[in-house]
Amino acid sequence: MKKIQGVYKITANQKISGSYYHLKIAAPDIGRGVLPGQFVHVRVNDGLEPFFRRPFSVFRGGKSLEILYDVVGPATKQLAAKRPGETLDVIGPLGHAFTLPDKNIRVVVLIAGGVGIAPFLTLTDKIRLKKLDKILLYGGRTKANIVSLKAFRDNGCRIHVATDDGSAGVKGRVSGLFSKIPLDPSTTLIYACGPRPMLAAIQSFAAQHGMRGELSYEEVMACGLGACLGCAVQTRKGYKTVCHDGPVFPLEEVVF
Amino acid sequence: MDLSVSIAGIKFKNPVTVASGTFGHAEDFYDDKELRRLGALIPKTVTLFPRQGNPPPRIVETPAGMINAIGIENPGVDIFITDKLPLLKAIGIPVIVSVSGANYEEFRILVEKVNAAGVTAVELNLSCPNLGKHSLVAQDPAAVERVVRLAKKHSRIPVCAKLSPNVTDIAQIAAAAEQGGADALSLVNTFQAMVIDVEKRRSKLGNFTGGLSGPAIRPIAVFMVHQVYRRIKIPIIAMGGIMAPDDALQYIIAGATMAAVGTANFIDPGTPLAVLRGVEDYLKRHGMQRISELRGSLQS
Ligand SMILES: Cc1cc2nc3c(=O)[nH]c(=O)nc-3n(C[C@H](O)[C@H](O)[C@H](O)COP(=O)(O)OP(=O)(O)OC[C@H]3O[C@@H](n4cnc5c(N)ncnc54)[C@H](O)[C@@H]3O)c2cc1C
Ligand SMILES: Cc1cc2nc3c(=O)[nH]c(=O)nc-3n(C[C@H](O)[C@H](O)[C@H](O)COP(=O)(O)O)c2cc1C
Ligand code: FES
Repeated sequence: MKKIQGVYKITANQKISGSYYHLKIAAPDIGRGVLPGQFVHVRVNDGLEPFFRRPFSVFRGGKSLEILYDVVGPATKQLAAKRPGETLDVIGPLGHAFTLPDKNIRVVVLIAGGVGIAPFLTLTDKIRLKKLDKILLYGGRTKANIVSLKAFRDNGCRIHVATDDGSAGVKGRVSGLFSKIPLDPSTTLIYACGPRPMLAAIQSFAAQHGMRGELSYEEVMACGLGACLGCAVQTRKGYKTVCHDGPVFPLEEVVF
Repeated sequence: MDLSVSIAGIKFKNPVTVASGTFGHAEDFYDDKELRRLGALIPKTVTLFPRQGNPPPRIVETPAGMINAIGIENPGVDIFITDKLPLLKAIGIPVIVSVSGANYEEFRILVEKVNAAGVTAVELNLSCPNLGKHSLVAQDPAAVERVVRLAKKHSRIPVCAKLSPNVTDIAQIAAAAEQGGADALSLVNTFQAMVIDVEKRRSKLGNFTGGLSGPAIRPIAVFMVHQVYRRIKIPIIAMGGIMAPDDALQYIIAGATMAAVGTANFIDPGTPLAVLRGVEDYLKRHGMQRISELRGSLQS
C-alpha cells in the first residue's frame, strides 16, 4: 500500500496503567490498510523539539488508528499531554509486516516484553478465526505496567505472565516462560517483540531447538521511509534498515 | 512567472532540489507527478565499490538537528547505474549524480561512468567527514583544484563541487574549485560533531563522530553561502537546514542559484514541494517576474 501522510484528529488518549497510554486517531485511510507488525511515524509537534518523528506500532487498525505507548522520554511525554480534538501528523503504514502462519502451523507463540505487546493485537485479530493454538507469553516490570489482556483473551489466546517483581504472574523474566513453547518446529511458529536482551534470548532459544519465527526490532529512526539509512541493523545478510527492510525480520537474521 | 535557473547552460525549471543522501525511496511515497515538479534530484553519493556503511547507531537527534554517520552506504556506481538510475531518470527531471572517490583515479573512473550513463550533471562529494581519514579533500585547496580539474577533463556534463564547512575559509576553497574549472558549487555538507552519552561515557554514534545537519546549522551555512557568493562567479547550490520557504529564500537572496532540502525530508517529506510553492508566492508578493531578480539581492 502507498504510504500516506496526513494530519489527523485525536479521538482518545487515555492512561491505561502505570506509564502506558492508549491513543486513538481518526485516520481511516492509514488504519484500514495496516498489516500486523507495521508502524506509523508520528510528529508529536510542529516545532523542533524533539526533532525526529517517533515510530509506533499499530495496536489496532480500521476506522481509527490505535497506538499503545509507554511514556519514556520527551516525545512520549508530549504525546501523553495531547487531548482529544488536537491533531497529529502521521505517516503510514510503514515497514514489513509479520508473515501469517501457513497451513502446516498448529501453534503460534507470541512473546512480548513491555510495550512490545503492541503489534500483536492486530496479529491475533488476523488469526482469530483460524484453528490455531495461540499462546501469549508476556513479561513486564510490575503489575502496574501490564496492559489489559482482555482483547487477547477474546481473540483466543492462552496467556502466561511474568513480572520482574512477581506482582503478576510468575516472578522473573519472560524467558522463565519458554517452557510453555511446544518444541515442534514444523508446527510451531514464534513471534517476538520487546527489549533487545529478550529478543536475543529468544533467538538463541530458537536456534537451540530449531524453532522458526519472526521478531520485530527497534532502532532510532529519522525518516522511517528508507531514505536516510540511519536505522541500520546488523544482520546475517549485512546491514538492513529497520524501517524499510524491517521492523519484522526472521528470528535468526538479526545479529545481536 | 519564470522560476527557471541555469547552470553551465543547462536549464532547470525551478531552483528547488533535494540534497544528496536525504531522498531515497521517494518512489514509495510520492506520485511521479509530484516529484516531477522539483527542479532536479540529487541521489545519495555513490562510490566506485559498494560500501556497507558504518556500524549502528548511525544517527542521533540534537537540538534542532541531527548528527549522522551513515558512512556512505551505497551499492557502488555500477549497480547504481543499472538498478537505481533508470528509476530516477524515468521521473523525467534532471538528475545530478553525486560521486566520491578514495583517490584521484577513482574520481576519474566515477566521472567517466556517470557521463556514460547519461545524466544531467555530476556532483563531486569532496566533503564527506565519515571516511575515517585525518583530513578531507575539501579541506585542502590544492587537492580541490586538482580533483575538479581532473573531473572536468573527463566530463562532458557539468561538474559541481560539493564543499565541506569544516574549513577555516570556505571562500578560499570555493575559489580553488572555480580555478579548477567547476561549473557550480554545492554547499554545505555536514559539520563534524558528536554527542556523548554521559551515563556510558561513550559517543552516541557507532562511528564515534558524525556530521551535524538541520536547522541548527542554517545560520552558519547562510553566512558561508554569502561569503562564497562574494568571491566567485559560478552558480551555487545551497543547503543547510532548509525547513520552510523562508529558509530557501535566505540562501537565494544570499546568492544561491538553487536550494536543496536535506534533513527536512526526514521530518516532513512534503518540504521540497512546500518550499517550491512558498518561493513562488514570495515572488508574486514582491511583484517579481523572474527568480533571477531575487538572486544575490541582499542589501547591505
Ligand atoms: C518499529 C518501532 C515500533 C515501535 N512501537 C512502539 C509502540 O508501539 N509503543 C511504544 O511505546 N514505543 C514504540 N516504539 C519505541 C518508541 O519509538 C520510542 O519509545 C519513542 O521514540 C521514545 O521517544 P521519547 O522522546 O519519549 O524518548 P527518548 O528519550 O527519545 O527515547 C527513549 C528510547 O526510545 C528510543 N528512541 C528514541 N527516538 C527514537 C526514534 N526516532 N526512533 C526509534 N526509537 C527511538 C531510544 O533509543 C530510547 O531507547 C517503537 C519503535 C520502533 C522502531
Ligand atoms: C542522513 C544523511 C545522509 C547524507 N548523505 C550524504 C551523501 O551521501 N552525500 C553528500 O554529499 N551529502 C550527504 N549528506 C549531506 C546533505 O546532502 C546536506 O549537505 C547536509 O545535510 C546539509 O543540509 P540539511 O541541513 O538540509 O540536511 C547527508 C546528510 C544526512 C543528514
Ligand atoms: S529511518 Fe531513515 S532509513 Fe530507516
